Amino acid sequence: MIEHLPVLLVVVPIIGGAVPLVASLYTDRAGWPIAVLTMAGHATLVGLLAEQVWSDGVVSYAVGGFALPYGIELVVDGLSLSVVALISAISLGVLAYARHAGPHENTFYSQFLLLVTGLTGMTVTGDVFNLYVFLEITGLAAYGLVASGRAASAAVAALKYLIIGTVGASLYLLGVGYALAATGTLNMADMSAKLATVGYDSTLVLTAFGLMVGGLTVKVALFPLHTWQPDAYANSPDSVSAFISALVSTVSAYALARLLFSVFTVNFLTAVPAARWALIAVASVSIVAGSALAVAQSNVQRMLAYSSVSQFGLVIVGFTIATPIAVVGATVHLVGHAVMKGGLFAASGIIERETGADTVGGYAGMGSRTPIAAGAFTVLALGMVGVPPAIGFVGKWYILVGAVEAEIWPVVAVVLLSTLLTLAYFARLGERLYFAEPTIREEAAVADGGESVSTGMLAVVVIAAILAVALTAAVPAVEQLLNETLPLLIQ
Amino acid sequence: MSADEEPGLYVESTIIMTTVRVVAPFVLTFALFIMFHGADTPGGGFQGGVIAGSVVMMLAFAYGIDSTRQWLDVRVVAALASGGVLVFAGIGLGAIALGGNFLQYNEYLPYYAKASKYGIELVELGIGGIVAAVAIGLFFLLAAGFGHVVGEGER
Repeated sequence: MIEHLPVLLVVVPIIGGAVPLVASLYTDRAGWPIAVLTMAGHATLVGLLAEQVWSDGVVSYAVGGFALPYGIELVVDGLSLSVVALISAISLGVLAYARHAGPHENTFYSQFLLLVTGLTGMTVTGDVFNLYVFLEITGLAAYGLVASGRAASAAVAALKYLIIGTVGASLYLLGVGYALAATGTLNMADMSAKLATVGYDSTLVLTAFGLMVGGLTVKVALFPLHTWQPDAYANSPDSVSAFISALVSTVSAYALARLLFSVFTVNFLTAVPAARWALIAVASVSIVAGSALAVAQSNVQRMLAYSSVSQFGLVIVGFTIATPIAVVGATVHLVGHAVMKGGLFAASGIIERETGADTVGGYAGMGSRTPIAAGAFTVLALGMVGVPPAIGFVGKWYILVGAVEAEIWPVVAVVLLSTLLTLAYFARLGERLYFAEPTIREEAAVADGGESVSTGMLAVVVIAAILAVALTAAVPAVEQLLNETLPLLIQ
Repeated sequence: MSADEEPGLYVESTIIMTTVRVVAPFVLTFALFIMFHGADTPGGGFQGGVIAGSVVMMLAFAYGIDSTRQWLDVRVVAALASGGVLVFAGIGLGAIALGGNFLQYNEYLPYYAKASKYGIELVELGIGGIVAAVAIGLFFLLAAGFGHVVGEGER
């Protein structure tokens, strides 16, 4: 049984996702327990898999028993293990949050589990076409989840997301086509070897790189391809925005890193400096533009969304610099950002429920009215800025050190600047929360509905805040795991 | 409910009803034909499923959306969708239970000589069921408009 873990990780949520549909013939509220049960199974499998990767190194699985490289291969190494563990943990957190916050429909939980399937599949696959399939599953489930918001704007946001996301996925597929034409294989490891023999400067290979990376940057939401993202995050239900802001772009960024390291490899980046510089330039522009746009927002959730544009720029810069320390930094920041951003969205949801505040102006004086949520929000925001000892500091620091080591000084300047800008928009919120006179009167908030908040919702936010600091302790373990299993770092 | 809101959307036409009645069995057969061709020739569950779903749409155009919705039990659609997923997962996990990898069809060979071929066919049928159910579900959902509860039975 133990050797089937990678595939079971994908199959369990598929089965779980099919059950609520049948259950809805009998009851409307079966989705949550089914999803919890499924995700508990998923988490157990991740735990067993972690043990296996920790003791034996990279785990590989041939689906259908077809000889590699012809069949689909699933591969779990340190990088994918970190991301899979993140998916499992965040999903359980979001379930605890959604128990009270909703949506409660069975269909929501079906789509939720489908999204988990897609994300897990993207993470464990070792096949570029299989990656496309899971990219589409992820995308379709995410569009549906965004559309589950009750406001009409949610439908518009989902449509926008659908159109832009499909363009991104299609670009990626086109790139896979070019790569297949160049190498005749779809298996990542095999393709990586054959790309080297074809020659990195061949037009086919360069086109494939451009299209595949371009398609994924749409999914990661780097500036200027981020336009779907703020609407999708801000207009979907709180549980959904916490979930997709924490995972969907994260896993796409992981896929991009996987392409860079396992398919095109660092040798490609060295052989074709233009490709590396183009990616670094896009990511750097994204860092600055995302931060600048975030500062300009008045709606808190839109500000958080633009902040993601900037933070993912940072992650991609780290991966593209591709020195071991920068890669560790980017991985740490990838995981840390997911925890913190998911927590921030969840906290902003609670603050909005309790006080009705959803703008920077509205946050004024709310620190005393929702002490727990506002406290957690502040801790997470400081972590995002990169105040030690939070995980955000470690990630940014490693990326910075990587950039200094590689002597890419413009990037060093951009990273430092981004920290200042991040401080600018989060400090403004912190100042409003604790040192400003309330602009929303208490009676107004209560009359406004004042939706209730459960202990589970608060617990999720508090745990996210604790993790934002505590995960720092796990960094050495992640570093060791990456050093042992990621081919790039072994050299 | 929607019948009250949108009167006159459905016009009974003998020509369309007769045509659909004659054509529908052939279209459904063609859908199955396409699904069964997934293993070794062009075709497969996705294409066949859409054709099967289109049969229900034809019926809806001929006999009215609401009467078709009543005629087609929602349980059938749900069972098709979930059942398809479970067939796929069951075949895959069955191979694991027999000691192979996920979806390793040749593990079934000792029990049935053409297991590889028919294993794939069965998976294609499962996919066809999912696609047909989703196409039918989406059609009825769109036809119902936005008056009903948000987020009902989409997937």
